[in-house]
Amino acid sequence: MFPSKKPTMNSHERPMSCVQGDSGLVLTTDPKPRLRWTVELHDRFVDAVTQLGGPDKATPKTIMRVMGVKGLTLYHLKSHLQKFRLGKQPHKELNDHSVKDASALEMQRNGASSSGIMSRTMNDRNVHITEAIRMQMEVQRRLHEQLEVQKHLQMRIEAQGKYMQTILEKACQTLAGEGMASGSYKALGNQGVVDMAAMKDMGSQMSYPSLQDLQLYGGDQLDMQQQMDRPLDGFFPTNEGICLGKKRTHPYSSNGKSPLIWVDDFRLQELGSAAACMGTQEEPSKSDQLQLAPSVIDSGMDMDSMTDVYETKPVLSTDSMGEKKYEGSSKLERPSPQRATLPVERINPMIRGGALPQTRNISYG
Amino acid sequence: MEEAGDLEISGVGSNSTINDDGGCAWTDWSPVIDWGPLSADDDFRGLVEAMMCDDNDDVAHAGVTRMAYDPYWNSNPSSTTTSTGTPPAEEPSSSDGGGGGNDDKGLRLVHLLVAAAEALAGPYKSRELARVILVRLKELVSPAGGAAGCGGGTSMERLAAYFTNALQGLLDGSSATACSRQSASHLDGQVGDVLAAFQLLQDMSPYEKFGHFTANQAILEAVARYRRVHIVDYDIAEGVQWASLMQALVSRKDGPPPPHLRITAVTQRGSGTRAVQETGRRLAAFAASLGQPFSFGQCRLEADERFRPAGVKVVKGETVVLNCVLQPPHAAGAATTRGAGSVASFLSGAATLGARVVAVVEEEGVAEDGNFVGRFMGELHRYSAVWDSLEAGFPMQGRARGLVERLILGPRIAGAVRRAYRATGEGGWGEWMARMGFGRVGISCFNHCQARLLLGLFSDGYQVEEDGPNKLVLGWKSRRLTSASIWSPPPPAPASVPPANIGVSSSMEDSDFLLD
Repeated sequence: MFPSKKPTMNSHERPMSCVQGDSGLVLTTDPKPRLRWTVELHDRFVDAVTQLGGPDKATPKTIMRVMGVKGLTLYHLKSHLQKFRLGKQPHKELNDHSVKDASALEMQRNGASSSGIMSRTMNDRNVHITEAIRMQMEVQRRLHEQLEVQKHLQMRIEAQGKYMQTILEKACQTLAGEGMASGSYKALGNQGVVDMAAMKDMGSQMSYPSLQDLQLYGGDQLDMQQQMDRPLDGFFPTNEGICLGKKRTHPYSSNGKSPLIWVDDFRLQELGSAAACMGTQEEPSKSDQLQLAPSVIDSGMDMDSMTDVYETKPVLSTDSMGEKKYEGSSKLERPSPQRATLPVERINPMIRGGALPQTRNISYG
Repeated sequence: MEEAGDLEISGVGSNSTINDDGGCAWTDWSPVIDWGPLSADDDFRGLVEAMMCDDNDDVAHAGVTRMAYDPYWNSNPSSTTTSTGTPPAEEPSSSDGGGGGNDDKGLRLVHLLVAAAEALAGPYKSRELARVILVRLKELVSPAGGAAGCGGGTSMERLAAYFTNALQGLLDGSSATACSRQSASHLDGQVGDVLAAFQLLQDMSPYEKFGHFTANQAILEAVARYRRVHIVDYDIAEGVQWASLMQALVSRKDGPPPPHLRITAVTQRGSGTRAVQETGRRLAAFAASLGQPFSFGQCRLEADERFRPAGVKVVKGETVVLNCVLQPPHAAGAATTRGAGSVASFLSGAATLGARVVAVVEEEGVAEDGNFVGRFMGELHRYSAVWDSLEAGFPMQGRARGLVERLILGPRIAGAVRRAYRATGEGGWGEWMARMGFGRVGISCFNHCQARLLLGLFSDGYQVEEDGPNKLVLGWKSRRLTSASIWSPPPPAPASVPPANIGVSSSMEDSDFLLD
């Protein structure tokens, strides 16, 4: 690197003789041809760089083109650009002692002489450059901070999600402990597994979303409408193998393919035979109160409500289907009190794509 | 988009065809209502008819004008339509003669709700009017006549249904408590459902996380150097807030091992102690899994729900933090709606306990109107915004939202309307604390950044803004919904003699109390 940028001085003060070329470039006549970066030239340089989008985006070739200064070579520009990027004040790079002395001299003359003015301007110029560079660094620092925050946020969200899981698991276990027929319980458990375990895997990726993942929910609605296959991933309680400790691992397909098609006929039939009531209970409404939709929820937790069912309350299976116009054929049923909403309904929230209209019909039978 | 209406009701489906029959949307009134016996007073019928048909009555109009000028309503036309490219799939065919677009209907629902509220706030006679209006409302919001419930209705219909129920509860007076008793008896059967719905809500919206994370970050910053941390939590609920705090404590990069964390949960006498103990066990297990030293305790409120600082054991060398999350309860049974006096006594205890910092999370936009109707409308706006936010973020998850609405938001709405009816227009706690001499502790850059990032995970409509140096407010599209603020306790009054059994932490420095 040759120290090409020097504080401009009147040529007669310089030990080296300089020639002012036609192009306006000041070239020294010492053996190594050096380009002197005058204030004006440097200004043009900075303008060109800014035009091109900053020192990182600009290349010597493009700068040369933009500047349109004759006699300027890529070599000059490369080194000047590098210095610019590094943000060092150009005259600090000088190795030449004589020049340093000269610059020191020049500093002393700042008060009065025109060279002083020129150098002050040069200093301002440098100051501007360093300001710009400082701002850049500030921006980088902020970005870095933001990444830190992001990292922590993600960990915190995960921790919260894990804790929520423990709540739901414990709730389930408590309810599971409360005397149930093992047969139906098992079926329920299976269904719970079917729902939960798979959900868990997806849930564990969705409940603790990476930022991009959750963006999908917020933004990518068209996608969701088209595919309709990612309805409640991760929104359902993600219990691990809910009560039976079984787990199924399913790869989480991030390509949007429905992860739910795994629910096969067999399982549905098995569930269809369960006599257990999984629907949530609603008090027989007072005449004045609106009957708000007791939508079935997809959780193994309301096994406890089974005990209630066998005693008294009629269960209204209702409009939980009402919203599923886009789900293909779904039949509304009003089950008898003992046999309330079929467990199959509990899967329904996940089977949005109408993937199993036929199986659903079967199990309704 | 509706250009004829005064205001745009958010959350209503968009494809409205303006009804042409002279503005009266419901020419086919349900035969269920026999107006004969109800109109003991002729004026009622005329009044009700007038309200049904048009905007030109005095009763409803006042309410409408108020809303018409509300910036939120005017600036948020049918957010559902803007956020989704296609009409929401659950748009039903209106049963009212197919008349009136959904926007119209939404408008009328709001009119009726406000009219009912006004009637309720009036003298006794107008309770009959209120009753009539509510009957009509019920028809409107459950098109199939009750059996289908309102799960299939539009957002606006569902929202109106919950408010209708809430108003009905007010009307029935004593049976409102019967309702809560009902829900309490449901507790066992429903607690799992409620928890599931709660998690859904958490996944779908940032409301809860915002408050927790902001408070936690401020707490982290305040206790950075201490080796023992003692948090006194006014309403521990399920303890969800502390999970992420523990995680943050164990993963501090600075080098010092995680401080010993002690949490004291403030409980009411009698009810819910078992639940709180369960929460404590859960937190302890979670802490163990993280390797976070932890202990848990309870502190009972007095019989009058007041907080007594002496009830909290303070160990020498620990730094005390007060945490006060005043969000409406989500679990039906744990409806610990403690009065303002209780909260005040808790906050006042900060000085006595020598707390380092006090974190307060509360609902924003609490209407400070002196009258019920104003507060009612405030709640209507609030929940309308919440509805919108859920719908905008997750338009397809109708069932999940329905569940959340039924199990969490519905009860909250009922509670909010009840409180609005009884309350006398209390403002937020911020002003009270400022008056009592609490200092403001600045929200750090990290904290603010974290809040922004958190909201960015959800929908675009969420906004966080600073309200003073110590408060962040979360809102949905210019409707402020919840806020988190950080305070330092006022210097203890010289007159108060601290009880002997309290050892005030000696490690507190006066300087650098303020962050940033």
